[in-house]
Amino acid sequence: MKVMTLTRLPVVKLSGVSKRYGDVTAVDYLDLEVKRGEIFGLLGPNGSGKSTTLKMILGLVKPDSGSVNVLGINVEDDPVAVKRKIGYVPESPRIYEFLTALEFLDFTGDVYGMSPEEKKKRIEEFVRALDLEGREGDIISSYSEGMKQKVVIISALLHKPELLLLDEPLSGLDPKSARIIKDLLRELASQGVTTIMSTHILEIAQAMCDRIGIMYGGRLLALGTMKELRQKAKMPESGLEDIFLKLTGTSDVKPVVEALMK
Amino acid sequence: MNWKNVLRLVSVDVKASRMIRGTRFRRFRENKAVIYAFYIGACILGLLVGWFVGNFFVGITDLTLKQLILEGATNLFITLPTIALLYGLVFTQMSQIQRIGAKVSVQPLYWFPITWQEHTLASILANMIGVPLIITTFVCSSILTVSFFLDLVPLGVFAVLALLASLFLASMTTEIFKVLQVRIYGAITKAAGRAAVWVRLIGSIISFIVFYVIYFSLYYNVSPLALIESVAGGQKMLWFIPYLWLGVTLSAFATGLWLETGLFLLASIGFAGFLFWAAVKLNVKFGLYEAPSIRVSRGVYVPKAGLLGRLGFSSLEAAILRKDLRAFTRRRELMYIFIFPIIFIIMPLLSAMRGGTDMPSTFSSFLFIYLTLLPGTLMAIILGGLMMGSEGESVWLIYASPVSAKSLVKAKYSFIILFSLLVTSVCSFAAIFLTNPSLKAALIGFVEAVFLAVPLAMISLTCGIKGADFRELPPRPRMIRPIWSLINMIVCAIVGLAILAPLIPYGIQRIFQSSLITTFFLPDYYPYIALLISGAIAVVVTYMAHKIALNSAEELLRKAEQ
Repeated sequence: MKVMTLTRLPVVKLSGVSKRYGDVTAVDYLDLEVKRGEIFGLLGPNGSGKSTTLKMILGLVKPDSGSVNVLGINVEDDPVAVKRKIGYVPESPRIYEFLTALEFLDFTGDVYGMSPEEKKKRIEEFVRALDLEGREGDIISSYSEGMKQKVVIISALLHKPELLLLDEPLSGLDPKSARIIKDLLRELASQGVTTIMSTHILEIAQAMCDRIGIMYGGRLLALGTMKELRQKAKMPESGLEDIFLKLTGTSDVKPVVEALMK
Repeated sequence: MNWKNVLRLVSVDVKASRMIRGTRFRRFRENKAVIYAFYIGACILGLLVGWFVGNFFVGITDLTLKQLILEGATNLFITLPTIALLYGLVFTQMSQIQRIGAKVSVQPLYWFPITWQEHTLASILANMIGVPLIITTFVCSSILTVSFFLDLVPLGVFAVLALLASLFLASMTTEIFKVLQVRIYGAITKAAGRAAVWVRLIGSIISFIVFYVIYFSLYYNVSPLALIESVAGGQKMLWFIPYLWLGVTLSAFATGLWLETGLFLLASIGFAGFLFWAAVKLNVKFGLYEAPSIRVSRGVYVPKAGLLGRLGFSSLEAAILRKDLRAFTRRRELMYIFIFPIIFIIMPLLSAMRGGTDMPSTFSSFLFIYLTLLPGTLMAIILGGLMMGSEGESVWLIYASPVSAKSLVKAKYSFIILFSLLVTSVCSFAAIFLTNPSLKAALIGFVEAVFLAVPLAMISLTCGIKGADFRELPPRPRMIRPIWSLINMIVCAIVGLAILAPLIPYGIQRIFQSSLITTFFLPDYYPYIALLISGAIAVVVTYMAHKIALNSAEELLRKAEQ
């Protein structure tokens, strides 16, 4: 009975959350609930508040008002407990480039308190799956951006987190690795792992996410499944790109292109 | 050659080296008045010095003395190009060393329509700007002013031109070294394979030491007159070395040997042309050279047995400690930390060697105190200040990981104290070997060094957390904001003096034990009582600093990216 109650609780609950940076309102009174096992897509143009929202969920940024609850814990009350249950991939991550991939993943495993056996097994599996075999002993500074991204993704998944916060996770990945990550996220979702993903690649959001939230100017313009978004935009046959452009008021790009061509 | 491109590139390079950073660093700011003030100040100072010396010369009535001064001035003018070459080499090399580890290096923008000649010339000119050019401005303005009073205007003007040319030669040589260094470093990395990390660490330490030994031999405790004399004599003897041709040209000009002047002047121009050609060719070949990657392991993952775990560290704390150890042995901008204790031992040794074999007892006691107390304490202060900021832009990993303030402080402090005590031990051993103190003095010195290192490491870590600078901007990551670096130094100096205070009478007695200055009497048990008081102060300070460090770390983790 208790388990049932727990599973019904939202994994992430933002209530009236706002964040300002000087004169700029990054997030404006945001209410959001994400359920267990859900893949939730956070879309929006540059500067719409997606990354700030993800950082507030992780406790990296303190909201000016409102509260953030993750897995039943108020992030401000016990940020370390929350972080222990989260895997995070930031936008354009910088990692310790003087370590090898193995050393970095070993570091990550230790930070999350994994046992040596579990670490070894998980690291070997991920390194093999994402085609890092043969380069895992090299210093990370010599890796391409895509390889670094793979290392960051592995470090986020290594400790079997209950919640994944992914900011543009598939950028720079080769098609095979991107496919593996997408399939893996679906598989993890079926096992109850929740994913909140921010992306600009609308095809990926459309194909992967159970629900999508579209942010603009720090506000949540629309929220729902693809079907619900189509209804809201009154575009029953359209894809996510058209819906996104209509809802964010940026659909009329023709005059811009014409001006640039002059 | 597009000169506008060259000037634009010089401007970019110079700006990269003098970014003035505030707490809000989103915008580039520079204070032009401050930049030009140094050059204008050097010029005015040079004019004043020249005017003062010139008037002094004019006022002399003794003709023999006048003649002597004229000969001395001529000698000085002749040696100036070689001296400029020496300081030019030292300062331009220093500037290169400071750029080590810059993440955003001033790479040639190879996709822009800029030729290698333009890029190389810009790099050479940018290297000259700063300390070398400020010194040269001062020397040139004073030489020109003095030459007017001494009636040596043609030689003065020629000397100034030769001085500038020498600085250019020095900068070209540094440019060539820079490119070769990248190439050689890449080749060694490739050849060393798995040992590359250690080869790089040891190679960097050796090259730093060689550089500093040369630097101290040239400038530390050397009389300027002796330097001028040896350079003037050396120039004549070693005339076949191209770097000395400018000096030889001036020498020939001063003595009226016009054919020699013409020949050596042409040869100097040819040599400068050759150096520029070589620098361009090397840049074309290796300027965009990518060093091969370093393979540390063959990819077989073996989790480490927990030695640190047995010492009471959690897996998280041990992970941070291991990571920091790797950072300090692999990040080139952090490696220089290991040079400090070596330099501290080399400097007094050079000084002692100059003074002959017999070491006076006062100097010996001073050397013992200096070596026992200073290197370990300074290591604690410097490491403590840098420790948090050394995370750089990867600090998000700490923010996003389940790291508590307590664990963070424990891991960082353990690293600092481990290295400080190691340096204290090595330098104390060197001090005992060099000065042969009594067992009692050796033990008191070592224990006091520990009493200094333990609290100062905690104070510095606190300042390092409060003033952490995670930006990785060129020329190299700074790691701590200047204001906090200053606060760190001041607080550590005050606390260090407070800890040392009880032992100061004993120290004075030891240093001057054989001289007549010692008129006060200290009982035999005095140093032990003093040591106890020192220890008590150290414990109280460490406890208080630890509390502040924890609060600061909590604040840092809470505020994270704000």
